[in-house]
Amino acid sequence: MKHKYLFVVVLLLGLSLAGVGFVKSFGVGTADGMGQKGAEQLLIVTSFYPVYIACLNIAGDCPGVAVENLSEPQTGCLHDYQLTPEDMMKLSKADVFVVNGGGMEAFLTDTAKEYPDLTILNAGEAIFSEDDEANSQEHSHTHGENAHVWMSIPHYMEQVVSIGQGLAEADPAHREHYQAKTAEYLEKIEQLHQDAKNRLADAQGKKIVLFHEAFAFFAEDYGMEIAGELDLDEERQISAQETARLLEVIQEEEVGILLAESMYGKDMGDTIEKETDCKVYYLDTLVRGEEDAESWMKGMEENIRILEKAISSEEAL
Amino acid sequence: MSDIFSWLRFDFMKLAFAAVLLITPLFGLMGTMIVSRKMAFFSDALGHSALTGIAVGVVFGVGDTNLSMVVFAVLFALLLNKISSKNAESVDTVISVFSSFSIALGLAILSRGGNFSKYSSLLVGDILSITPKELLYLGILLIVTLGFWCVCSNDLQAVSIHRALAKSKGIPVSLMEYLFAVLSALVVMLSIKWIGILIINALLILPAAASRNLSENLREYHFFALVFSVFSGVLGLIISYFANVATGPAIVIIAAIIYFATYLYGRCAGT
Repeated sequence: MKHKYLFVVVLLLGLSLAGVGFVKSFGVGTADGMGQKGAEQLLIVTSFYPVYIACLNIAGDCPGVAVENLSEPQTGCLHDYQLTPEDMMKLSKADVFVVNGGGMEAFLTDTAKEYPDLTILNAGEAIFSEDDEANSQEHSHTHGENAHVWMSIPHYMEQVVSIGQGLAEADPAHREHYQAKTAEYLEKIEQLHQDAKNRLADAQGKKIVLFHEAFAFFAEDYGMEIAGELDLDEERQISAQETARLLEVIQEEEVGILLAESMYGKDMGDTIEKETDCKVYYLDTLVRGEEDAESWMKGMEENIRILEKAISSEEAL
Repeated sequence: MSDIFSWLRFDFMKLAFAAVLLITPLFGLMGTMIVSRKMAFFSDALGHSALTGIAVGVVFGVGDTNLSMVVFAVLFALLLNKISSKNAESVDTVISVFSSFSIALGLAILSRGGNFSKYSSLLVGDILSITPKELLYLGILLIVTLGFWCVCSNDLQAVSIHRALAKSKGIPVSLMEYLFAVLSALVVMLSIKWIGILIINALLILPAAASRNLSENLREYHFFALVFSVFSGVLGLIISYFANVATGPAIVIIAAIIYFATYLYGRCAGT
């Protein structure tokens, strides 16, 4: 054991060199890539996917403006999201930070306050201020109000409007571009909205059961009645009692339609289908997907198509 | 070389760096004492009790759950210490029982109403969100631990080698053990938010264990443990920054590599 000091020095040096090599081959590129933001370029950072898609539509192809999403597109809902160093870097360089609001990003507010120059644009401000502010902070969206407002076409339109206005104020140089793009995108959504209203006209008064809070907006927008709800989310543990109670509700009220999200609701959905006559339909919560400006529209269209199918097949029974 | 240190431009990285410089020596020191007292399982159980402490705080409506977490952990440590000094044969079983009971209780309370996701960040930890005030707490704790280490380290070593002999030499054995249990509880609780329940014990144990592979006397043992701990902390932080992975696991991976290397070296050179 004579040479152990030598050994330790060699070991630590070797590890440092390996670390540097690792960093060189793997990381520095990305860190530098983000450092190359031109001085005159405006960086808009969004907190997560639905807001990102809205911003892409409004500011995506505007010269001199970059739109980046904070969490990676696959992250989904923000509950248990953890900021990575890359996110912190993006935040520290951003000019505008667009959030969904409604407590969805409660965990980010402290972090964002550390950057006083950063304009925080709350897309849901108009929607959530209708409820009192007591709900806004600590209560995550599993409690109290429902923050999944992008799942409602009318609410999503409100969000697009406030993002458009907010961006025009924060960056007057591109005001016209933002306004034109906002109007263009709104028109497309409005069409979808009318279309959905026609196709789901029969949905009025239908009883449904939800496995995800986000789908409550469908009930609200198309006049369906929520007979029961089980919020199956990431990391949610369901007690036996809750399941039994839901099964009772489904049988007593003869609910025929259950809306679930395939990622977290599949197992429970299978159980319900086995135990009752209720049909389970899997919708998309629109929180993950490609970096494609059209993806919200496509996802929503698909959701409406599935809903229409659900309603018509229930009518046929 | 300059781009290797480019991360120091960001304030959050400066804070995280300062936190690593405070936490790793703290863990290096505590680790040596925990390893030589064969208490690795004890500190693991302590880490798990963090969840229960928070749950207790939630149930009693304590505004600051950090407080309830620390108080619960201190009580838990005292209890564990008391029990393990009573039945010497099956300490690991007793600790395991208490540890699993406490984590089950914590999970049961925190998962009520499906809110567990709010606390899941505790499992992995997040050193990037540390604030200057919390750094100050860590700094104070480091000073306290250094004080304890200077005054009591030799006595504690004597106690772990031969309890009865230490007692006959006039060392206040039980007081020492209780003090150490409380200090471990404080160290684990104050750093659990930054390191995470799942890996906090690795960070306590690995540097000391690696150091044991090499050292021939107490001075070397403490010295190497400190060096390994600080080194893996700093390198882990830098690598996590560039590779975009969580910081705690990166630190633990480096510490584990050091452990394996010293283990092999110790076996080859020792025989």
